Amino acid sequence: MKLVIPGDLLSDDVKRAGEGTYVTSGEVHASVYGILDQKELRVIPLSGKYMPHTGDNVIGKVVDISFSNWIIDINSPYEALLHISEHPDRIYPFDMGQHLDIGDLFIAKVKDVDATMRVELTVETFNPLRGGRLIQISHTRIPRVIGRGGSMINLLKKELDCNIFVGQNGRIWVNGKEDNMDLAIQTLLKIEQESHTPGLTDIVRDMIKNAKREKGK
Amino acid sequence: MSDKPNKLIEKGKRLDGRKVDELRPIKMEVGVLKRADGSCYMELGGNKAIAAVYGPRAVHPRHLQEATQVIIRYRYDMASFSVKERKRPGPDRRSIEISKVSREALAPVILKEYFPRSVIDIFVEILQADAGTRTVGINASSVALADAGIPMRGIVSSCAVGKVDGEIVLDLTGQEDNYGEADMPIAMTQDGKITLLQMDGHLTKEEFAQAIELAKKGCKQIYEVQRSALISKYEGVSNV
Amino acid sequence: MSEDIIAEIKRDYIYNLAKNGKRVDGRAFDEYRQIEVETRIIGNAEGSAKVKIGNTQVVVGVKIQPGKPFPDTPDQGAIITNAEFAPIASPSFEPGPPDENATELARVVDRGVRESGAIDLAKLCITEGEDIWMVFIDVYVLDHDGNLVDASALGAIAALLNTKLPIVRYKLGTEDVPLPISDLPVAITAADIDGEILLDPSLDEELIASTLITIITGKDGSLAGIQKSGMGPLTFDQIFHITDLAYKKAKDIREKYLEIVDDQSREEGKKD
Repeated sequence: MKLVIPGDLLSDDVKRAGEGTYVTSGEVHASVYGILDQKELRVIPLSGKYMPHTGDNVIGKVVDISFSNWIIDINSPYEALLHISEHPDRIYPFDMGQHLDIGDLFIAKVKDVDATMRVELTVETFNPLRGGRLIQISHTRIPRVIGRGGSMINLLKKELDCNIFVGQNGRIWVNGKEDNMDLAIQTLLKIEQESHTPGLTDIVRDMIKNAKREKGK
Repeated sequence: MSDKPNKLIEKGKRLDGRKVDELRPIKMEVGVLKRADGSCYMELGGNKAIAAVYGPRAVHPRHLQEATQVIIRYRYDMASFSVKERKRPGPDRRSIEISKVSREALAPVILKEYFPRSVIDIFVEILQADAGTRTVGINASSVALADAGIPMRGIVSSCAVGKVDGEIVLDLTGQEDNYGEADMPIAMTQDGKITLLQMDGHLTKEEFAQAIELAKKGCKQIYEVQRSALISKYEGVSNV
Repeated sequence: MSEDIIAEIKRDYIYNLAKNGKRVDGRAFDEYRQIEVETRIIGNAEGSAKVKIGNTQVVVGVKIQPGKPFPDTPDQGAIITNAEFAPIASPSFEPGPPDENATELARVVDRGVRESGAIDLAKLCITEGEDIWMVFIDVYVLDHDGNLVDASALGAIAALLNTKLPIVRYKLGTEDVPLPISDLPVAITAADIDGEILLDPSLDEELIASTLITIITGKDGSLAGIQKSGMGPLTFDQIFHITDLAYKKAKDIREKYLEIVDDQSREEGKKD
């Protein structure tokens, strides 16, 4: 593993230039501070704001309702729009709040992002998240929460008997028994904090085991 | 300020013991603030400063936003107690000018088209001033920008050069600035593009060329410090 | 706006934990986050301190210079306290003159120092009616993660404890002497979260608290200042409970962080 900083020369094979790089006079340089992935010739950032991409699954929050759009905070510099026509039924603008109201949290998919970062969302259902708990962590840690091939998230779901939805925008929704939810949130915050510690899955497994044993006493 | 000493350089040594081409001691630490998206603390001699980066974030008021790129704001501020005579808090003509040229020193390396309609705010707080504060602000900001994950073409490094007792020197002290013949803060990219250049005083063309060469050397050393400060934030990280 | 969203997202979690006597970071209700006090960090200031409470960080610098007395107190020094919410400290702080929150913070810090009689103002008279020492206490918030008042108040008194009158610089004598300090006021802030009283609220706790209240006590345990800040009402029982807690906690903090500084200052004062 190798850390790089903006400007570092990575390669002279410009055809391979990946994310987190830029090309100048026939050379590939790092554009962000992060970890170099030699194979893909890209730099994985360690920080930065969530930038939506088409197809991302996110958790949004309604911050306003305009004449034909719900205006959604997606934990990004850019607000997203959910158009009234996304609703399966024909609804009237003045009824929009009955389907998704200001303050509601819900699961959405990024439908489109244009060149000026206008973001459109789509949803499977118009049901806001009820019950459960929501936390927000750095979106750069989301790959660790999921783990290789879903190993970490599956461990959490199984050990904690919780329903967990992970949004690529750093928001995670957990639903289950009170005690399990508390432990799940503690665990997720730990993963965020220690996301670059080797053997994290084992640390997390032990942490959950110990917490359960404590409770059993 | 103390009275003018007879000599500022004696037998090739400056009053603080440095050679003419030597920087003052530097300390740099990345990620010192929790709330900021990126931050950096820097000491250079008696200078102590913190830079924080917020953004990219939404622009308010909206009419300031640009459709195709991010706007950059830079605010340089000196704490009231950073200087011997208490300074009234808030901006003055000097800090407004420094904020402007510092912003222009950093903006060229930022890949602005990545974040249309948004803003990146860079804030610098000088906690203790000891000549060369603007260069410290730029160096710390450049690192804070990287820490915030902002895409850039490279890191900007800055130092001051000048003329003291007839000699071209690197990184002037307050005394050397006051009683020397010229002071010239410079900022540059790694590939040698100058992004900040100011000068006051008096230099011949030959001296100017010599000063630029010395500034290159100084900025290269600063760059190495910036680089190792960034790398050491995640030292021990081995598996991702 | 995003700050509010985060707080709201965590609201249920924090409420729920509080109902069970717990807090997000695992602290007890009357437990402070880790406190660090570092003094003499700004060479250009006559006194200075950096205080960290958890992730919250403030720097306090004390500048002292001669000035004219107020007409109604011709034989007394003056205290001028100012607080800057530096925009480096929070995404919600904007550059500009102190807003109502910064002004409130400065006034609460000022009240603690002034009303406790921590500084003997009569000893800061140079020539009656002509010249006095002006004590500028400047608070700079560097990182805002809740409970700025306690951090700032602790920073102010810690900075004052290592402050020296710049007698030599102003050619008023041959030796700088320590600023005379006669009390050690400590501010303790509590938050009301759904009826539960939590000391040293973190930012998330502050944002969802119905009200905050700060109690400042002096060495002898008497009250030197109170500030209720926030919309929510408090009951008499709650207020007596909080003053009780505040007195005990202030004593701990004073012993642990200020009396050490105090001793150090005297030691170093002797040496100089």
